[in-house]
Amino acid sequence: MRDGSLSELHWLGVAEAAHAIAHDKLSPVELLEALLARIDALDPKLNAFIRLDREPALEAARAAESEARAGRLRGPLHGVPVGIKDIIDVAGLPTTCHSKILEDRRAKADAHCVQKLRAAGAIVLGKLATHEFAIGGPSFDLPWPPARNPWNTDHHPGGSSSGSGAGVAAGLFPMALGSDTGGSVRNPASCCGIVGLKPTYGLVSRRGVFPLSFTLDHIGPMTRTVADNALMLEAIAGHDPLDPGSAAASRGHYAAALERPVRDLRVGFVRHFHEVDMPAEPEVTAGLEHVMRTLQMEGAEVRDVQLPSLGEFGAVNRVILQSEAWAIHGTWLRERPGDYGRLARRRLMSGAFYSAGDYVQAQRRRLQMIAEVEEALRSHDVLLCASSMDPACRIDEPADIERTYPRQARTPFNVTGHPALAMMAGLSSAGLPLSVQFVGRYFDEAALFQVARAWEQASGVDGKHPPIA
Amino acid sequence: MDKQTIELLALRAGLARALADFPDDVEAAAKQAVSVLEKIKQPTDPAAEPWPPMRAGDGL
Repeated sequence: MRDGSLSELHWLGVAEAAHAIAHDKLSPVELLEALLARIDALDPKLNAFIRLDREPALEAARAAESEARAGRLRGPLHGVPVGIKDIIDVAGLPTTCHSKILEDRRAKADAHCVQKLRAAGAIVLGKLATHEFAIGGPSFDLPWPPARNPWNTDHHPGGSSSGSGAGVAAGLFPMALGSDTGGSVRNPASCCGIVGLKPTYGLVSRRGVFPLSFTLDHIGPMTRTVADNALMLEAIAGHDPLDPGSAAASRGHYAAALERPVRDLRVGFVRHFHEVDMPAEPEVTAGLEHVMRTLQMEGAEVRDVQLPSLGEFGAVNRVILQSEAWAIHGTWLRERPGDYGRLARRRLMSGAFYSAGDYVQAQRRRLQMIAEVEEALRSHDVLLCASSMDPACRIDEPADIERTYPRQARTPFNVTGHPALAMMAGLSSAGLPLSVQFVGRYFDEAALFQVARAWEQASGVDGKHPPIA
Repeated sequence: MDKQTIELLALRAGLARALADFPDDVEAAAKQAVSVLEKIKQPTDPAAEPWPPMRAGDGL
């Protein structure tokens, strides 16, 4: 390190690290070596990695160092390491989906989002733990152990992007890619106290990502700060003609929204999600009230809004998700049911018991639900609501996992495709992260970053790190 | 959904092996599907359209 001002390299954010590298104050090799040392020390407790790609990452860091010294920066993420959820292809590495079914499947090319990260200068560090096929839940009957929560390793880190959430929160890497079909970016963001964004459907290409549900799958950035999330989204968003669900264009310039004040911003508070539909733990409710009051003090205008019930949103999500997933997994479930873990097997087989009519009815109801959320967003700039109704439960208590897993308010926005960001709302009395969710209009991720940054600045949640060492 | 119906539907879906090796999982999967379907309000307007395929453009 050539500048004494940079300390604790593992807590450097994406923007800070990229800035230091660009200004010759930090070597990408030095940064990577610091992270590798932390991974060596902590990952045996966290299981964030399925595969650490140490040597190729070091080689890439050495190349990035030479380029930076020569004044050739690839992009805004030059030399910054990134972790990749193991349902996303990285050329030459296996994409196992954390499953025996795909243990030997090797990717021939990078996923589109990985291509874009590399083009922006990021260094791929390895493949990260997930729930099996992004649906299973924390399982102990798979070829790799489940990731654990760095705030308390006896607890669940959320999922399905569990290695991404655990690793970012623990300072193993400053950013990671996750995927979100029923909340799988925002759940680990909520459990691990980081920032996780599910962008608007179609904003980030799904090409090269193993599908769970074609019409519900989203790829999103996971970081420790809102500004880093905006920077990462900027790198991965954009049209991909080879993804049939890809949107024509992104609005971009997300960083510009970060310092915009929230004065006069119209915020709709979806209270019934956590007060009526699925009554939240009191500490979760208190956290949400605190966020709401803080935004009011910053000048935002907050009003209650009504959406369809969480139970129905969740049911529509399940029918569509499991029907589409059955189309993908049916053959393996018929021929190799024993090669799935129990949780994934149960969840995926439900798809065999829906009719075509059930699927179409769910899609008809989906359109009505989209209209209802659109109506709420006509008179509000963003919505505020719960993400998880409970802090992370213990990972070794199947009954607690089963009880708390569906107690969440994330599936509505997979059903509707609106962008949604989850982040820390504070800490529980047991020292576990509490969470809040912001939801925006289609392609208005900038408004989410604006309100999330206002909360982050007022609360200082970005300065809270797990005590793991 | 009774056990006989579950078995019939599972066999129709080609899940004979799962039914033999993991009967509890097949039953749990079927019961979950039934319970989920009960929570959805069925659209009553015959003209209510299904959500169209996601594609690029404004308004999804």
